Amino acid sequence: MSKADQCPSTVHEGPKHKPSKNELARERRSLLSAVSGKVAWRSGDEIADTPQFRDFLEREFPAGITEMFTGSRRTFMKVMGASVALAGAATLPGCRRPDHKILAYSATPPEDIIPGKPLFYATSLPLPRGGVEGVLVETHEGRPTKIEGNPLHPINRGKSSVLAQASVLSLYDPDRLKTPVYFNRQRNAGAGERMMATWDDFVKWGKGHFPKFDKSQGAGLAIIVDKKSSPTRDAIKASLLKKWPKATWVAYDSTESVHAASGSKAAFGAPMYELIDFSKAKVVLSLDRNFLDTSSEPRGLVHARDFASTRRVEDPTSADMSRLYVIESDLSLTGGQADHRLRAAPSKVVALACELAKFMLPKLGAGADAVVAALPSATISDSERKFIEECAKDLMDGAKKGATIVVAGEHLPAGVHAAVHAINQALATTLVKFAPMSDELASDSRAAMATLTADLKAGKYDTVICVGTNPAYDAPDAKAFADAFAKLEGSIALSVGQSETAAIATWALNGTHYLESWGDALAVDGTISPIQPMIAPLYAAIDESGRPTGQAPMSDLELLAFIGGDLRTDGTPKDGYELVRAAWKSKLGAKTDADFDKAWKRALHDGLVAGTTATGATPKVNIASVAAAAKDVKIDAAPAGQLEAIVRAGWMHDGRYANITWLQELPQFGTSVTWDNPALLSPKTAADLGLLPASATLEEPNTMYTKEKYPAGRIAEFEFSGRKVKCACWILPGVADGVVILTPGYGRTNGGLASDEVGFDIGALRGDAGCVLSSVKVTATPDYYPIASTQNHWSLEGRTAIVRAVDLPAYKKFAGDPIPDNDEIYAGITAGTLSFAEKLGELSHTPPNVSSYDNPYNRSAADLNPNDPNYNKIPARGHKLNSKTAQPPNFAIGPQWGMTIDLSTCTGCGACTIACQAENNIPVVGKKEVAKGREMHWIRVDRYFAGDYYNYKDSAAINYNEPEYIFHQPVACVHCENAPCEVVCPVNATVHGNEGHNYMVYNRCIGTRYCANNCPYKVRRYNFFEYGLHKFNGDYVGKDLIESIAPDRGGISGSGKHNKINPNLIPPRLREKLDEIETMQKNPDVTVRMRGVMEKCSYCIQRTNAAKVETRLQDLNYVPDGFVQSACQQACPSDSIIFGDILDATNEYKDTGGTRKGSRVHAARLSRRSYLLLGYLNTRPRTSHLLKVSNPNPALVTNEHRRAAWDHPFHDGGSHGGGDGHGGGKEGNKEHAFFDERRKREDKGYALSLGVLSSAAGLSAVPAIGGGLA
Amino acid sequence: MSTLHPDEASARRLAGLATGELPTYPVAPGTGDGSLVDDPAVRAPLVLNNRSFHDITEIVCGYAEKPPGRWWLPTFMLAFTIAQLGGLFIGYLVITGIGTWGMNNAVDWAWDITNFVFWIGIGHAGTLISAILCLLKQKWRTAVNRSAEAMTIFAVICAATFPGIHIGRQWMAWFLFPIPNANAIWPNFKSPLLWDVFAVSTYGTVSALFWYMGMIPDFATLRDRADLRLRRNPEGPRVLPFLPLRTDAVRAYVYGFLALGWRFSSRHWVRYEKAYLILAGISTPLVLSVHSIVSFDFATSVMPGWHTTIFPPYFVAGAIFGGFAMVLLLLIPARELFPNMKDLITLRHIENMAKILLATGMMVGFAYGMEFFIAWYSANQYEAYLFAHVRAQGPYAWAYWTMIFCNVVSPQVFWMRWARQSVPVVFIVSFLVTIGMWFERFVIIVTSLHRAFLPGEWHMFWPTAVDIGIFVGSCGVFLTLFLLFLRFLPVFAMAEVKAVLPQASPHHHGNGHGNDHGKAGH
Repeated sequence: MSKADQCPSTVHEGPKHKPSKNELARERRSLLSAVSGKVAWRSGDEIADTPQFRDFLEREFPAGITEMFTGSRRTFMKVMGASVALAGAATLPGCRRPDHKILAYSATPPEDIIPGKPLFYATSLPLPRGGVEGVLVETHEGRPTKIEGNPLHPINRGKSSVLAQASVLSLYDPDRLKTPVYFNRQRNAGAGERMMATWDDFVKWGKGHFPKFDKSQGAGLAIIVDKKSSPTRDAIKASLLKKWPKATWVAYDSTESVHAASGSKAAFGAPMYELIDFSKAKVVLSLDRNFLDTSSEPRGLVHARDFASTRRVEDPTSADMSRLYVIESDLSLTGGQADHRLRAAPSKVVALACELAKFMLPKLGAGADAVVAALPSATISDSERKFIEECAKDLMDGAKKGATIVVAGEHLPAGVHAAVHAINQALATTLVKFAPMSDELASDSRAAMATLTADLKAGKYDTVICVGTNPAYDAPDAKAFADAFAKLEGSIALSVGQSETAAIATWALNGTHYLESWGDALAVDGTISPIQPMIAPLYAAIDESGRPTGQAPMSDLELLAFIGGDLRTDGTPKDGYELVRAAWKSKLGAKTDADFDKAWKRALHDGLVAGTTATGATPKVNIASVAAAAKDVKIDAAPAGQLEAIVRAGWMHDGRYANITWLQELPQFGTSVTWDNPALLSPKTAADLGLLPASATLEEPNTMYTKEKYPAGRIAEFEFSGRKVKCACWILPGVADGVVILTPGYGRTNGGLASDEVGFDIGALRGDAGCVLSSVKVTATPDYYPIASTQNHWSLEGRTAIVRAVDLPAYKKFAGDPIPDNDEIYAGITAGTLSFAEKLGELSHTPPNVSSYDNPYNRSAADLNPNDPNYNKIPARGHKLNSKTAQPPNFAIGPQWGMTIDLSTCTGCGACTIACQAENNIPVVGKKEVAKGREMHWIRVDRYFAGDYYNYKDSAAINYNEPEYIFHQPVACVHCENAPCEVVCPVNATVHGNEGHNYMVYNRCIGTRYCANNCPYKVRRYNFFEYGLHKFNGDYVGKDLIESIAPDRGGISGSGKHNKINPNLIPPRLREKLDEIETMQKNPDVTVRMRGVMEKCSYCIQRTNAAKVETRLQDLNYVPDGFVQSACQQACPSDSIIFGDILDATNEYKDTGGTRKGSRVHAARLSRRSYLLLGYLNTRPRTSHLLKVSNPNPALVTNEHRRAAWDHPFHDGGSHGGGDGHGGGKEGNKEHAFFDERRKREDKGYALSLGVLSSAAGLSAVPAIGGGLA
Repeated sequence: MSTLHPDEASARRLAGLATGELPTYPVAPGTGDGSLVDDPAVRAPLVLNNRSFHDITEIVCGYAEKPPGRWWLPTFMLAFTIAQLGGLFIGYLVITGIGTWGMNNAVDWAWDITNFVFWIGIGHAGTLISAILCLLKQKWRTAVNRSAEAMTIFAVICAATFPGIHIGRQWMAWFLFPIPNANAIWPNFKSPLLWDVFAVSTYGTVSALFWYMGMIPDFATLRDRADLRLRRNPEGPRVLPFLPLRTDAVRAYVYGFLALGWRFSSRHWVRYEKAYLILAGISTPLVLSVHSIVSFDFATSVMPGWHTTIFPPYFVAGAIFGGFAMVLLLLIPARELFPNMKDLITLRHIENMAKILLATGMMVGFAYGMEFFIAWYSANQYEAYLFAHVRAQGPYAWAYWTMIFCNVVSPQVFWMRWARQSVPVVFIVSFLVTIGMWFERFVIIVTSLHRAFLPGEWHMFWPTAVDIGIFVGSCGVFLTLFLLFLRFLPVFAMAEVKAVLPQASPHHHGNGHGNDHGKAGH
């Protein structure tokens, strides 16, 4: 560091020794020598922990102080980080950026840092209920801005989930707790007063408070931590309980269901995690298990990745893919991927599971008669029996032996889980192995919490410490807990964000975010993953000169260690760094300190401890105890007139993520609802109960969007075991009849501005019950509640060319037609060279686009290619503006960027949307703006319900209650080469780049919105207001006035309980500006767009350009495939998005599967499955979509249309006229089409141009098309 | 006096022998106010009640010189207030953002461009009447051309407001103009929106010139009259009681300034006539081009419902249709409210315009039908869906059927003679057509956008108070300007009206049958 520090306000002027540059450099060198390999992360230096380093660190990331004035109690806060000059938090009055001159990095910036270039550090995101995601954090000058998956981590392999993507925003949540708050009971005439305090105050208080438990051996002390797996925390727990054996330790998570753990305990004698390898799966049956979900499954990323790999087909001759059966009560994203999906209420799922076991186990001869006998018998319908029997036959198919598996949802009874283990063992499946699960994670913490609440009420505790938990909101009896907790002298809550518990605690402690703290976590497979801080705690205290002072905010580990009396020799609390290192001493197996340091650095660098990943064991199932567990299985169907309810945690989990606006505004799977958690019902159930949304009908649910200005759900009262809760209802096709899906984590009262009063708190209904409520009484109320969703139309309206899908038999039969690939750029999209997927859609019916003039943008197969002798006459790229040589882009010279999106593997999880939001500074607009159709997401996932058979064009034929297909289609700007938006912009604000980008020039845009009108894909997003600079939520101008005039109005529904003014409903123009702290998340490489400007996907051009610079520096003349990834591609758990240079056909790359030639996107665009969305418009999109292929079991396809389509995929292949010919293409059949009334209607005249096409383009291999005509 | 033969009376008055009110005399039965002569041998009078040249001068100048009826001030205040409220809404829009309108990411244009096209369409009748009917020597145009031209100017002003305010960053509107700049960034000459800028500004400029030039002789008349009064009575009425400024002095000054030194010399007239013809010639293609270009905003796009080659003629026909309806909508009340205006705007004029409404209404109706035919014939799934399911049956079907009723059905009453000649019927139909033409633009813009290619992005549009406020405000601006025009400017082209008087014909034999050679100045 030079003397000209980057921010003089942080310069130390005290007597402390200031290391010279040489000293620091020497220190650094000595450290580096100890690290093998590259020095990339900051952590390498930190292990030194020398005074010099600490000094450096403090100036880099000051720790802070709270100055407390005895009189006014005004507290001065300071936000810091390396970006301290930027940040200068204005979170409290009187706190502004320091009034000093600030300087940029001086001539000698810190060694690692190149100003303007981000650094990536590995750390880990601990998942609730155990498990971890290994992540890389992009930091700009010490400021974390974006989370990526850690490529080395066995869970992530470079991918990341929605939660990981969103977690960075919670660091900058302006509603975080900022100082400890002490509830002083003496003040205010005995009524008590909450006052800001410092961590020093707490440490002082704690040192007086906790030693008293030494005498009682911990009796009277309860610690409620969240369920997670952390070796260090386990060590702290062990020492604490050793010291105070009578203390109560509860690892609590309100969303848990421990049946899976109990089931594995019954089967194997100990709770086990399943390590399922779907990559080799041939047949999978999911019994209501949403195993592809990355937010509820700790290995969801692995599952999504592996399962997707079994769904990609290319070569029709050898095409093989897995088959997925799903029996579920919800519509989950796993259900959306199913080849066969059976809707069943939770009790029916149990019944079907029992019947399945009874059918399979005897046949497999597994000696499991006892289990069969113990399982209850159930009545199921004939069609259901057929389903499970065909499914069972498929599972037992000898040809697929070992590659089939049954998985069970965690809310199913333990006996079912045990029976499923027995089935899997009998199937001799090689897909599943087991890893041990800790008892803490397997424990039934809801029961423990109920006991604790009762004891607390009875006065058995005088100190209750909630660490990262919020029982006052989500305990089984939250009210009782809160009442007792609030009265407690020793109530302590450590929380990162605001919480209901912290609000009533004696000590509300501002904990550190995982990006601010040291820690560790265990992946499900046992991989030890370190958590290292990316930034010093934002809300630590500093003195008037900006110097860090006093005790810094504690992480959960630090607090627990402090409570347990694990202090430094000087009596100060240990910090996380010491704690983790101490706990790891034994784990890393290092003999000497030097070895340990080396291993430690390696682990921090890699983001995991190498060699700790378990491959799992295959313990033997204990049939006797499985039978015992099976005896307890009950089939509790709801009585007539009542519903069964499933409580299913969404992105808010138990409410801890509710203040993350990205998650609130992320369209939920299936419903596309944002900012709410309506109770979901099947349309039929809703209609039966009178709970259809306003103006919706059973046949045509879209009317609720066309007739209502703000679509509104009916509010119903739900009653379970005498407990009542009101919640709005919404319909979701595909949910089982007689079931209601409830989502916890909403309707918080003290969670921050984005979560308070948003949605409905259903916790009170649930009480101490599990995740399945067997009989819920529902009463409709006359009130409505507005629901904002991003997609207002449900059906494809027969537009089968938009989402193209076929079944595997048809693919095998017809996809083999050769694809003439004489044109590298367009991969044969011109008529006559159609790929299989293109033949399925409108392109096949469109005459070739023949331009009557020479459109330079319109290069195609007929144009020159690089091998052409005339090629050199094409003006080269890199022309000068305004010169006579100016030429339009030449798309034959690389790199030419493009993308493919695989509809076969996309699960619709939403990770792309949120990754894009994080990368590109996309604002959140709030509920009302979403309701108006103004969401800003650059990549959206359209979902469509299709009925009967997808090619059946009559939209009225869709049975919305039981759609046969659920499609999702991610759509972002497709970067048309012939972009309709570009010609219409009057000011040249959207123009084409030489590399195929459709640029959006924000500075030039005046906001005519003409481009958006003319965009056939409707991917352009307009800043109707100053979204980027205003709070999505929160205070607004005139709030006091409005509330004083109209206290009971303001909701857009104008009725019902939710009449209070919901901040989400306030137009952004009336909102306050963003807190400075929130702006710290912004990616400095991307402009924040102002009001009145259009924006859209840029293919992450900032990444592309950075990669190009990097490759130039490396003297490469091309950008290697994979060197640049778009944010959506990088996050996509199922690897459905591929981005790269579509011209790269020759460069060689090493892959896991060997060496390949050319970029992945090049290959994908040449795929038989590749088609261009609305390609017939001749827009020439650079993003192509890959056909969805399903693999139904022929024995279960009863739908005649679908079956017929296997022979005739090109039209709907209905039973009419097409029965005879596979060969198709018979001339005589042409008239046939016109005699066939139905075909005629469906063709809507297309057959006319078809004739033109097949003769003009000389399509000899027309069996396809001809067959369709037949 | 009642025994006096009309021709004789005219002759006497021409000779200055008679003054004062004319005698009334019975009109032939079945000819309405006397203008609806149905005899091909008889040329129907274009000015009734045997007005003399002087009468015309008195009547027309009287509108500008005498205090208006008691209705004027309240009407003006109301219109002006509405205009100002519209201005406040515009201010709010500019300060707060386009989000105050009801648009969204699927429907990015709605009332803004609907209003723009609506007002531009209104403007068309003015130029058509001034230019095309002039070239076609349709004499009846003289009664309405001045006010129709004024209406054009005001409609263009209203229309031009909308492209200016509908953009997101209004302060950057100058990017639309080809201003040389250091960045060497020009507007995109391929964009129809830019063509609009040129087309509308050209149209506005030429229309204003045409209008203003036509008024020069009339300004001179007003100037001279004010000057004369002032000379006769220097103590004439003051502008305001406490201001030592005489009204006539102001008039003489202002009209004098506007009259550009016109001296009624023959040279002036000759040049005036030539210039008038040249401007008529320039304006004629503009009538066709402006709305064609406006229609390119839609026709050149790829959106179903917009991407239609029929749009240019269809838009022009619609514009003339809507423009004539607006002329009728303005002049029918004016005719009732201003003294003697019925003598100048006769039932014949109204009937003629009703016929044009019928003809252009049929053209528009044909275009509507043709859109459906092409949608079917093109075999384009998206296009066919748009017409069959969205326009005719979709959530905005009510707008579509309103449009059909107003634009196609309601003018059909004009097949009946009595309806064409009934002022209330014509007024009602004109009103319906004006509404219908607004809905036509709404239907084209909003219904096409709200259900485009990908059903996933379909979204409804609901107007907000700001949408409505700015549209109503633009109506207020229009009405305010028109009322000011009626009050202060020569509402008729006096010389031209005089030229179509029977007396103007050199072959005038006193019975109105005279040949048509007559021209002012002969």
